[in-house]
Amino acid sequence: MAELVGAFAASHGPLLVREWETLPQDQKARLQAAFGELGRRISVAKPDVIVEVAPDHWSNFFLDNIPTVCIGVGETNDGPPEPWMKAFPHRELAGDTDFAMHFASTALQNGFEPSLSHRLKLDHGFCIPLWRMGLETLPRIVPMIVNSIEPPLPLISRCFEWGRLLKKAIHSFEKDIRVAILATGGLSHSIGEPTMGAIDEPLDRECIRLFASPADELLSYLEKELPTAGNGTAEIRNWLVAHGAAGGRGFELIDYLPVPKVLVGCGFAAWQV
Amino acid sequence: MRDYWASRLFFDLQAPTLAAEFRADRDAVMKRYPLAENVRRAILDDDAPFLAQRTNAYLLRYYFFATGMKDEEFIRRLRGG
Repeated sequence: MAELVGAFAASHGPLLVREWETLPQDQKARLQAAFGELGRRISVAKPDVIVEVAPDHWSNFFLDNIPTVCIGVGETNDGPPEPWMKAFPHRELAGDTDFAMHFASTALQNGFEPSLSHRLKLDHGFCIPLWRMGLETLPRIVPMIVNSIEPPLPLISRCFEWGRLLKKAIHSFEKDIRVAILATGGLSHSIGEPTMGAIDEPLDRECIRLFASPADELLSYLEKELPTAGNGTAEIRNWLVAHGAAGGRGFELIDYLPVPKVLVGCGFAAWQV
Repeated sequence: MRDYWASRLFFDLQAPTLAAEFRADRDAVMKRYPLAENVRRAILDDDAPFLAQRTNAYLLRYYFFATGMKDEEFIRRLRGG
């Protein structure tokens, strides 16, 4: 049977690439260390598959059709389409059709209705953390896109439930594979709105505190605070999928630092699973 | 509220070749999209607050990035400066 061998989270943001060389040295060193620590832990966990949870930043979907949740079930997905991600070393990333289809089927049998894609473009939200973590070889990547970009967005509680469902899917998959979860995005940031650039450090720190508390308190807090937070903060939904898969327990902060130059409150975390 | 065609233009401008063409001749590219006159005017005027009411915030940022505008200037315009 498959096994859940780790759950992790990391921020992403275009400026973690475009402004990387101009970041203040101390912040760059901490970001490097945090990404590196995640990479080390993932290497130690030796996953065959990473279910990576991220938004689609208008790379695959447009107003014509916006799935709330989309699972990438293809054998292969494309690397990032953004021109400034050209140096990312993978133009194609292997998927895991068998596991992804099992995940999708488990979802449908349990009252969740994901969209499916047999070929996705994995944009910077997926690829910056993989890149910065410096993994020598990439496990197979099963993308799970959660809409946190174009309202209406899924309920906070539903994202947590998606995590529980993902764990169920992993534990009921008949093949003997090791699966990790990597949630990307958040913490607070604001993009393309008048507050752009604002980082809400108190909100981030309260979220971090609540991730280590009973889940109900975190979910209530986010349902109340996210509607008025910077729009990019909505990506915490991805962390909730990881949190749900970990049973709402075992959260460990690796590092948190607000980085004004990349416009993001950057968080890095792992869950003991 | 979403202006479909302005959003479509901004989405399409993620392609570097189209973005280059747009930077060289905005009118020529905009003619391919059935944009309302006030929207077309707002694009020509870099009217970020007007456009922000009609498109997704991420798409709007991508659009201004495609035009070559720096984030600092984009933020200033978003705030009505």
